Amino acid sequence: MLNSYLPKIAVIKNIKIQTPEVILFTLQLKNKEDQKNFKFIPGQFIEVGLPSFSEAPFAVCSNPDDSNKNFQICVRKAGQLTKKIHQLKINDQLTVRGPFGNGFPENLTGNILLIGGGLGLVPLRPLILANQNNKNFKMQIFYGACEAKDLIFKDEYKTWQKSANLALTLDKQCPNWKGNVGLITTLFDKIKVDSSATAILCGPPVMYKFVIQKLKQAGLDDANIFLSLERRMHCGIGVCQHCSIGSKYACKHGPIFSYQELKNIPGAI
Amino acid sequence: MDKKQLQKFIKWLQEKNYIVIGPIKEDGQILIKPINEPSQLDFSGQLPLYSFKKFLVPSREILFKYKKDDFKADLTAFKQALIGVSIFDLKAILLYNQVFEKDPYYQARLNNTLIIGQSQIPQFQSLSFKVWEDKYEEDILEHLQFDIFLGQAKEKKSSEFKIFTGSKKGQQILNDFTKQSGWKSDFEHIEYAGPIKEQGANPEMTKIKEKMPGSLETDIWQNLDQRCIECGKCTIVCPTCFCFSLADQPCLNKDEGMRKKCWDSCFYAEFSEITGGHKFLKNTAERIYNWYYHKFVRIPDEYNFPGCVGCGRCSMVCPAGIKIHEVLESIKNKK
Repeated sequence: MLNSYLPKIAVIKNIKIQTPEVILFTLQLKNKEDQKNFKFIPGQFIEVGLPSFSEAPFAVCSNPDDSNKNFQICVRKAGQLTKKIHQLKINDQLTVRGPFGNGFPENLTGNILLIGGGLGLVPLRPLILANQNNKNFKMQIFYGACEAKDLIFKDEYKTWQKSANLALTLDKQCPNWKGNVGLITTLFDKIKVDSSATAILCGPPVMYKFVIQKLKQAGLDDANIFLSLERRMHCGIGVCQHCSIGSKYACKHGPIFSYQELKNIPGAI
Repeated sequence: MDKKQLQKFIKWLQEKNYIVIGPIKEDGQILIKPINEPSQLDFSGQLPLYSFKKFLVPSREILFKYKKDDFKADLTAFKQALIGVSIFDLKAILLYNQVFEKDPYYQARLNNTLIIGQSQIPQFQSLSFKVWEDKYEEDILEHLQFDIFLGQAKEKKSSEFKIFTGSKKGQQILNDFTKQSGWKSDFEHIEYAGPIKEQGANPEMTKIKEKMPGSLETDIWQNLDQRCIECGKCTIVCPTCFCFSLADQPCLNKDEGMRKKCWDSCFYAEFSEITGGHKFLKNTAERIYNWYYHKFVRIPDEYNFPGCVGCGRCSMVCPAGIKIHEVLESIKNKK
C-alpha cells in the first residue's frame, strides 16, 4: 500500500536569491528513478520539509517540461522551517512529498490573463515557462509587488516578454521606478481585458475580492476565472481537515478552483 | 451463548495473543480499557464516556522515525479484540473505514483488530416469530461493519447472547473456538450491505444538510459564539472527530527524531492559520459552524451518511451546556 506520509529525499542543486526574503531552490530527488518519473501539473504543490522542523506546502514553480531532471520551489523566510531552509547550501537535503492537488486546467487556449500578487507569481511561473512557444496561447501577465525590492524572477521578464505582455505595478513609488504605481487593480484601468479571456489569479486573500470585481466588470464568465487558494495543509490528501472549503479540500480538489465553484461557499475567498 | 461461554471465549482470545479491550466499570463510570479478566467486562449497555476511537485512531502515532536521511515507518500492529462496541461506535468505525481507506497505518491496525459489537436487540426467544429480529438485522446490522456481534434480549435481563458474524474473519474465529471448546455453535451470518439503508439516505440528515449552509447569518451561531469556550472537549469525546496535525519531535541526539500524526481540534485558533497569521476560521462562531458543517454537510457530501452517530457525548462533556440536539433543532426550524 502506498504510504503518502513517507517523504522522498531531494538534494539542493542550485540556490538563487530573488529578494532579501525569497530564495529560489532547484531540487533533484536523490533517487534517480524517482526523479525521472517525477511529473507535475502547473498549479500543483509539494510538501517540503526538514526532519525536526516538519513540513509546509510550496508550489512547484519550474518548467514542467524539465520535471524529469529537476524542479524548483520559491521559499519566503516566514517561520521556523523556512528560516532553516534559507540557511541550507548546495548539496544539502530536504524532504519532499507529492505533488498534490489538481493544478490549473490543462489545454487552455486563447487569451490567458495571469494575475499574480506578491509571491502569487510563483505558482504561475510554470504556466508561463511551459507556454512560451504555444501558438494557441495569448498571454497577458499582471504582476504587482509591494516595492521594487520585492519583485521576483526579475532576470526572466525579458524572455517572458517575447511570448507575453507583462504589466508590472508597485504599491509604493520607488526610486528609479518608471512603471505603474498602485494596487494591481489599477492595471485594469490602463489595459483592456478581453471578455472571452480566461483569468488565473494567485495572490494574498485580500487581493481576490477586488480583482474579481474588475474581471466581472470586464465581462468574464465565472467559469473562466480560476483562483489558487492558500490554506493550511498538513496531509496533502484530503483527510486532515485543515484546508476544508465548504465540502471540498484545497489540497485535493484544489488548490485551483473556478470562481463558479467558490462564489457560494462562505469564507472561501 | 451464555455469559459463561462468552467469558471462555474471551479467555481463549487472550490465549491467542489478542489484547482484549472493552467497557469496565470504574468509580461509578464506564470506561473502555484493556482487561485482564473477562469478568471485569460490563455488558450493561451503558454508554462509556469515551468511545473506542483511540484504539483505531490513536491520539498520537509515529509515522516514521528518522536518523539523518534514513526514514523508517513501522507498519506492524498488535492483535487487539475490541469487545462490547456499541451501535454508536460501530457507526463511527464505518466512517474511519472510509476516511482512512488509503492510510497504511490504519489498515494495518484494522487488519489486526477483531471488532465485537454488542447491543440490546428485540426479543429473539421465539425463533418461529422472527419479524422484529429480521427487521433489526435488515435495518441495523446489515449496515454496520463488525466481525462478531453479541445481541442481548431487550425484553428481559438475559445473560444469553445471540451471536452474529459480519466477516469471514469472525466466522473463522468462531469456528476455531467451536472446535477447541465444544461450544455448540449457532451463530448467524449477516452480509454487509453498505452503510446506507435500502430506503436511501437518512431524511433527517438531508433536512439538516439543506438548512445548514444558509444558516451562517442566523443568530444560532452568534448565540453559540457567546457560549462556546473553545475547549475542544467535544472533539476529543466525539467518536467521529478525526482531524489531525503532522508534527516533528526531535530527539536529543543530533539528526534523530520522529514525525507524528496527532489529534487536532478545529476549535483551536491556529487550526486554519497560514503563514503571516491569516486565519480562515476567524472567530468562535465560524469555528463552531465549521464543526457542525463537517458533520452534517461535508461528511454527508463525501459519503452520503451523517458524520454524527447520535451518541450525545459532546453534550455530556460541554462545560458551557451546549446541547447538540437543541442546535440541530434550531437549524431545522430555520425559516
